[in-house]
Amino acid sequence: MKRSPIITAILSVFKKELKIFLRYPSWFIAMLIWPIIFPFGYLFTAKALSGTDGQSLAAFSNISGTSDYISFMLIGTTMWMIMNTMLWSFGTSLRTEQIRGTLESNWLCPVPKITILLGHSLWEIFFNIIFLTITAIEFKLVYNFKFIGSPLLSFLIIIISIPSIYGIGFIFASLVMWQKETNSMVFLVRGIMSVFCGITYPLAVLPNWMGNISKVIPLTHSISALRSVISTGATLADIKSQIYYLIFSGIILMALGFLAFNFTQRKVKESGSLGHF
Amino acid sequence: MTSYAMEVKNLRKEFQVKKKKTPFWKKDYNKEIFVAVDNVSFSVHKGEIFGFLGPNGAGKTTTIKMISTLLMPTSGSVIVNGINSHEKSIEVLRNLGTVLAGERSIYWKLSGRENLEYFAAMNGITGKIAKEKIDYLLKRFNLEKRADETVEKYSTGMKQRVALAKALIADPQIVILDEPTSGLDPQSARNLREIILEIKEEGRTVLLTTHYMEEADQLSDRIAIIDHGKIIALDTPENLKKGLSKTKSLVLQLDHWDETISNKLKDIPAVENINSSFNDSNQIWEVKIHISNGSQVISSLISNIASSNTKIINFRVDEPTLEDVFINLTGKSLRE
Repeated sequence: MKRSPIITAILSVFKKELKIFLRYPSWFIAMLIWPIIFPFGYLFTAKALSGTDGQSLAAFSNISGTSDYISFMLIGTTMWMIMNTMLWSFGTSLRTEQIRGTLESNWLCPVPKITILLGHSLWEIFFNIIFLTITAIEFKLVYNFKFIGSPLLSFLIIIISIPSIYGIGFIFASLVMWQKETNSMVFLVRGIMSVFCGITYPLAVLPNWMGNISKVIPLTHSISALRSVISTGATLADIKSQIYYLIFSGIILMALGFLAFNFTQRKVKESGSLGHF
Repeated sequence: MTSYAMEVKNLRKEFQVKKKKTPFWKKDYNKEIFVAVDNVSFSVHKGEIFGFLGPNGAGKTTTIKMISTLLMPTSGSVIVNGINSHEKSIEVLRNLGTVLAGERSIYWKLSGRENLEYFAAMNGITGKIAKEKIDYLLKRFNLEKRADETVEKYSTGMKQRVALAKALIADPQIVILDEPTSGLDPQSARNLREIILEIKEEGRTVLLTTHYMEEADQLSDRIAIIDHGKIIALDTPENLKKGLSKTKSLVLQLDHWDETISNKLKDIPAVENINSSFNDSNQIWEVKIHISNGSQVISSLISNIASSNTKIINFRVDEPTLEDVFINLTGKSLRE
């Protein structure tokens, strides 16, 4: 059976990105080291505040529902790392092609242009699944990370979170290709995520107005659902409202992502800035 | 069935440009319209090499970007093999093989073979057919020995050949080449010109932009000369030069040159243009004088120069070139 040209194009972008990734061994080493190094700062801060024997953990336990602050932070920082990687690599994928000089070559291929971005997202999802697997193994070995609830349900939450995360990525990748200002946009988006999503602290400590904003951000719900399942053994029924929200926000953000891409595609065709770097 | 590979009708592209540096909150009030391409019309016959000749910034690349669907025209239309390029862009792209930005248009971290595999797949060509095409193109462009090395290790000429092979991977009927020999050494440029002629011999149509007159002259069946976004002449190279049959160029090497001498010579009837430049390496002035009535005023020119205390080191009389055609049409040199 002949494969659709769109599927062929998506898979060829995936293969191309994989080959380029493998040409940079330092990226692979960073992927191994980063999950261990990154949470250290937060964990030591938490240890200092909770006391060496956890004497001061009661307040944290009351508002977070768990006294296992290590798992609490590892889950938050892992999801933040996924969001951060998505912004830096997938979010800037079209911009990277633009800087390389290859974006126009891709645009000259007889396929819908969204396939290029879909190919990048397929590669990024694959990369993140590998990253998460390595992270889980390392957390077990280095931090004695414990799974109280179902690993399968945790994986389901991550899968359901993908449309939301990549919806933001589609919007981001499109706007960056148009506006060409990567760094400030990454810092802005990930800054908002790190403050509002409760990466390293329970949302209960946020002022009301910040708490209200945090509830709108899908990553907050992903992190919260993962913490409930992994650290307290919550079931699907316990987290169904968060699952519904993630599905709903995923649909909305993916739709907005496609709209942003089409809008940007039209803008760069009008302004002639597709090949500009 | 149309005999044209491409029909460009009243094509116009306007860009908004900032008048001057202004605060971002005022930018909407400080924009003006720059017309990059101004009602350009031409048709390209099937199987011909059509040269697009003009100085940098004349509108060549903007025009071919509109033809290859990368840029939306402000008005006008482009028909490629009977298909409107902005209504059915994917169909048009199946008919086009385009090389823009040459060596930068391919992935330097992939090998030549991997680049071709990628672009073949992006054109829907996979499996055995892709492998055969890739092997053929690598051999044809003399890349097979280093096909599995990453492109970053290739010379500029090799990168340019990979970019050209990439454009031919889907066997397009029309090939668009934007300044293909720019930045190449003379040998690589000569090789690439031979390849372009071979592409034509295969029955393909080639649209070629260049600011090298010799290249346009050597390769093109017809040439459109573009300046300030407008086509100012369109014909075969021979006819363009024939139009200047009475024009000659007197090329002189002098030990001294100044405005006074130039103005004195410009007063002589039949002197159309004078271009001068100082050659640093041999410390002499090279002056090119275009005259419109054959060789009748040559003796008068030489006696005027000699009477200005200027030593004539060398001189020759040239037949008209495309450069002369361009100067005659625009009053300036192509490289100015």
